[in-house]
Amino acid sequence: MINQRSFAQFLGWGIFVLIVGVVLPLGVRQYQVALLTEIIIFALFAVSYNLLLGYAGLLSFGHAMFFGVGAYTVAIVLNHISGLSFFGAVMISVMVTTVAGFAVGSLLLRHKGVPFALLTLAFNALFYAIATKWHSITGGDDGLSIRLPDINLGFAHLKTGDITVFYYITLLIIGSVILFCWYFTRTAMGQTVLLVRENEERMKFVGYNTNVSRLILFVFTGFLAGLAGSFYTLHYQFTSISAISIDMSTIVVLMVIIGGTGSFIGPILGACVYIYLQDFLSDITDRWPFIMGLIFIFMILYVPRGLSGLIDSFGERLRGRWHLRSSVEMEE
Amino acid sequence: MSDIPVFFLHGLVYAGLLFLISSGLTLVFGMMNVLNLAHAAFYMLGAYFSYSLLNATGNFWLSLIVCPLLLFFIGAAVERFLLRRVHVYGHVQELLITFGVAYIITESVKWIWGNYPLGVNLGGFLSGSVNLFGLFYPIYRLFMFFCAILISLIMATVLYKTRIGIIVRASVDDSEMVNTLGINVPLVFTGVFGFGAALSGFAGVIAGPLLTTYPGMAAEILVDAFVVIVIGGMGSLVGALVASLMIGELQSFGALLFPKLSLALMYMLMAAVLIIKPSGLFGEEQ
Amino acid sequence: MKAMQERKDILQVRDIHKDFSGLKVLTGVDFEVKENEKHAIIGPNGAGKTTLFNIISGKYKPSSGSIIFKGEDISGRSPHALTRMKICRSFQMTNVFKELNVFENVRAGVRCDHGLRYNFLKRPGSIPEVNEKTEEILALVGLADAGETPARELSYGQQRALEIAVTLSTEPELILLDEPTAGMTREETIEAIKMIDKVTANRTLVIIEHDMDVVFSLADTISVLHNGSILVSGRPEEIREDQRVKDAYLGEEAG
Repeated sequence: MINQRSFAQFLGWGIFVLIVGVVLPLGVRQYQVALLTEIIIFALFAVSYNLLLGYAGLLSFGHAMFFGVGAYTVAIVLNHISGLSFFGAVMISVMVTTVAGFAVGSLLLRHKGVPFALLTLAFNALFYAIATKWHSITGGDDGLSIRLPDINLGFAHLKTGDITVFYYITLLIIGSVILFCWYFTRTAMGQTVLLVRENEERMKFVGYNTNVSRLILFVFTGFLAGLAGSFYTLHYQFTSISAISIDMSTIVVLMVIIGGTGSFIGPILGACVYIYLQDFLSDITDRWPFIMGLIFIFMILYVPRGLSGLIDSFGERLRGRWHLRSSVEMEE
Repeated sequence: MSDIPVFFLHGLVYAGLLFLISSGLTLVFGMMNVLNLAHAAFYMLGAYFSYSLLNATGNFWLSLIVCPLLLFFIGAAVERFLLRRVHVYGHVQELLITFGVAYIITESVKWIWGNYPLGVNLGGFLSGSVNLFGLFYPIYRLFMFFCAILISLIMATVLYKTRIGIIVRASVDDSEMVNTLGINVPLVFTGVFGFGAALSGFAGVIAGPLLTTYPGMAAEILVDAFVVIVIGGMGSLVGALVASLMIGELQSFGALLFPKLSLALMYMLMAAVLIIKPSGLFGEEQ
Repeated sequence: MKAMQERKDILQVRDIHKDFSGLKVLTGVDFEVKENEKHAIIGPNGAGKTTLFNIISGKYKPSSGSIIFKGEDISGRSPHALTRMKICRSFQMTNVFKELNVFENVRAGVRCDHGLRYNFLKRPGSIPEVNEKTEEILALVGLADAGETPARELSYGQQRALEIAVTLSTEPELILLDEPTAGMTREETIEAIKMIDKVTANRTLVIIEHDMDVVFSLADTISVLHNGSILVSGRPEEIREDQRVKDAYLGEEAG
């Protein structure tokens, strides 16, 4: 089972991260602020992926299909509907993603394990093919650029084009959604997901429709990935074919595995490390994806609980109450 | 109208290629319950090894033998040193490790050969055309098709007529049972995994001169091979054969009749199979 | 006795056949269970008892025949649908949530029964009745003090008790118990029978059992399953005296 931290502990972390999040941009260069924005967006993408992998035990190689649908929908509606507001575009985008999640999820309903992994990859390829071929709408290989609408709150006019302003908007919205995801893992539905993973047969025999529970979770994670995708487009004021590619699905797998699937924090950590590492390595060498691949294999072989697992066991050692948590999710 | 036989033959050629890849994939899955995401990366390596060997020696026949052999050892090493280590952790870790291998192979290929398409030039009679009942058809495509048939026949003979074939088929049905018979199942696994890689590498060698050799070729054919084994039924060789023919012809005629929809057709077929028979045409119901 | 005759049938099993790729396991099973009856199904190993249970509880679909529950044909329905119709089963091999504690094991079923299944906003323990009901069931099976213990750390007897508690968690009207005392010592078995008798008061029970002492002390009615069909159904004393049963079942046991 997932290592569930106490509420107080999590709240403490939450407040700490929030303060850091608010204060951090004050002292750093614009470039760093943009990087932080990217981290927050990818943190949500990774958290949504881990709800599938870490909580439900469903390995998907196609999570970018929803990220991409979110990214493209925002770009398409902003290009075609004049006067559409910032939040209007985001709303339409997540609605479209939810519908896409439902359509794909209904076909995958009866599958889990290896066939599920294979099918998600195939569906991602389908979405990618649509995005490349449907040139008139998606711009094909050229991608789509947008003009970012400002946010008018009545009492304040937010210039979303400003990197720092956009950062705070992202922190507020995506940050609260990530917090909700954490709460979700404690709700009846979140617990149902965990229990289905642990003993699906018994869940059926105490009255749960486990296919429905899988579908609901799948649609929900699609919705979250779509939201992350829409902010990705808004952040870069551009979307390209890479947003919906299998490479993007690969990135989220790498982030989550590096960060660790065994805790809620793991994927967030993974997103931070991946993006900073990418930023750092790509300055030094063009071969940074190769290095990422080596790190990935190393983690799978030697650190199956990821960085968050490492930190957990290190912390426990420090506090002198080292004991093996037999509840490590992967080792069932 | 004279297009129809040409497109039919094109479809057969692609089906042959797909079968070479998907048969190894489905055999490994049926036996080890591992979906090898690096399978198509082995195919790509076959194409690139062949490209380099051709540049060095100019002998295509040599690469037809050497490259699959190399891939056999690479595949066996992946099984022995990576896959087996994570086996105890379950399917998720197994899938992830093959995923990591695929990723590293793709990045290595970009590193060594560059991130752009390479052309493979074949000299000799293979690059010509032949008159088939009044229809001029490239010899190379026919050659590919006959290679696929030849390999399939050899594979069928080995699987159904030899002792090792019986062991492999029995392992597909029930590997625990075979284990209790005193057969070294891990060794059989390594062998079959390596054999699957070699098969995939062979497909890469013969695909190289026809299709472009580039770092995206693995992902491209992997998805087609996945669709094949979903439609055919995971673990079923007969299913892989039938579905390869379906997909090969569908893509070929799709390109002729509905050029805009040709890609979607394949997925529509897959979705239809998923709705009507989720375990695939020849798959066993769970 | 007379009162029992007048009770309504809650479950009717009609001509159930089941074959697994040609192997005929059940060849026309017929019997009925009356409301609040304690009905035992006995039979030699391989008679198809567990298969029959798997069909009644929705794990397998019958090859032919029908299961009628309160006048409604329920054959082939999925387990979760049957659970919501108030049919719930236990498993021969303890089948609980090993990583969870005892309380949460039982609460999973209780909250499902209270409609708290896929809720995105409420926590599992947010309805007081759910927690109360869970405590109540735990007290009933004698696990009141073990609430915090992870299921995998329980003793064997406690695991069997938890298995029954999880089965009870959905408030079933028809309870199907698959060899609840399997693997227990004599003393544990006696305790278990007392407990089962207590928790199934005012409910209908169908039980598969090997232990003849359990069967004869618990059941109102016994059906003997032999070679895939019901050989005879009747009151315990009738079964005890029946020559066919002696030949088929007890004879085999001795041999």
